[in-house]
Amino acid sequence: MDSEGFHALSEHFVVAGISGEGEHVMWLNRYVGRDRIPANMLSERLSVMYDTSGDLKGWIVRRLVERIYTTPPHPFIKRMQHPDRSTIYGYVLEHHHFLMQWVKSCAAIMSKTDEEDVQLYEIDNIISEFRGLSPSRPSHHELLLRMGESIGITRSVVYSTEPLQTTARCLNWWQRIASECHWLETMAAMHTLELTANPNIRKMGSDLTYFDPAILENDSYPEAVRNFLREGYVADASHSMDALDLIEKHCTPELEKDVQSVVYRTVSLLDDYLMSRLKRSESYGN
Amino acid sequence: MCDATWGEHWDEVDGQRMLFCCDICAAAFKNMISAVKKANSWSRVDSLHIAGNNGTGRKCTASGEGSDFKFYVKFYNDGSILDFHKL
Repeated sequence: MDSEGFHALSEHFVVAGISGEGEHVMWLNRYVGRDRIPANMLSERLSVMYDTSGDLKGWIVRRLVERIYTTPPHPFIKRMQHPDRSTIYGYVLEHHHFLMQWVKSCAAIMSKTDEEDVQLYEIDNIISEFRGLSPSRPSHHELLLRMGESIGITRSVVYSTEPLQTTARCLNWWQRIASECHWLETMAAMHTLELTANPNIRKMGSDLTYFDPAILENDSYPEAVRNFLREGYVADASHSMDALDLIEKHCTPELEKDVQSVVYRTVSLLDDYLMSRLKRSESYGN
Repeated sequence: MCDATWGEHWDEVDGQRMLFCCDICAAAFKNMISAVKKANSWSRVDSLHIAGNNGTGRKCTASGEGSDFKFYVKFYNDGSILDFHKL
C-alpha cells in the first residue's frame, strides 16, 4: 500500500466513523485514539501502524498480543486461567464449529498454492487438528469432543447445536477469506489465531499464558480437559511460529499490506469469537 | 460511553434523543439503563455517572426515585451485557 492507498483507507475510516458505524469506530478508538483527526493525519498514523521495519513475523505477534493479552487481557483468557465447567461448556460448543471451518481453510490454502513447504505444513496441520496421528494420538477435535463428554456434553449435542450468531459471523469471514483471497492472506487469517495458545506468549509481551499451566497437573480437572489443553499447549509452541515463518518467507512486497490488514481483522474477530465462548457459557445448565 | 469523537449516532433512550459515537455504544447504554431499572424496580433513571472503559469495565452510579445505585458493568463487543453487579 502506497501513500495513496493509506489516504484511501483513512478516508474510508473517517466516513464510516462519522456515520457511527460501530466496528470502525471501535477500531479507531482502540488503535488510533478517541479523538477524531483529519484524514491526512490518520493516513500518516496508519502508515506508521503498518510499518513492520522488515519484521513481519514480529509485527503479527505484537498485533495478537496487544489485542488478546494486554490492555487488559481478554475476559476469556482471564476465565481460562482456572476454567469452571461453564467455561469448558462454552469452549466445546463453539470451538467444534471453529475446527470444522478451520480444516476447510487449511484445505483452501493447499488448493491454491504450489509451495511444497506450505502444503506439507497444512497437511500436518489438518492431521493434528482434525484426523489424528494414530488411535493413541487423537486429533485436537477428538480431544475437544472428549473434553465435552467429561462434563456431560454428548457428541450428538455438540454436533446438533448451532453456533451462536457471533461465532457464525466470524466463521463466515474466515470462510470468505479462504474462498476469495490469496492463500497467504488465508494463512495469516488462520495461523495468527494459533498464537493464542502458544506457551511462550509471555516471552512475547503477555503477562498471562492461555491458561495456568498448573492445571495440567491438577487432578480436580477431568483428565480429558487436561489432555485437550496439554495437546494445544505442546502443539502450538512450534506450530504457530512455523506458520509465521512460512508467511514471512513467501510474502511479497505487493502482498504485505493486504496480509497486515487481514491480521488486524482476524485478531478483532478472535476477540469476538472468544467473547462468544463466554456468551455460550452463560447457558450452561439451562 | 467512551468519549470518542469519531462518529455521530443519534438514538432515543427513554424518550430522550441522545448522541453517541456509534451504534454499539448506543446499544450498550440502553442495555445498561434497562439493567439498572430492572435491578431497582425504577421506572426511570434520573442521572448516571460512568467511570472506566470497555477493556476494564465501568464503575457507575445511577440515581433514580430518590436513591443512588452503585454498580459495575462490562459489555460484550456488540453492546450486550457480560457482567452487571451491585457494588
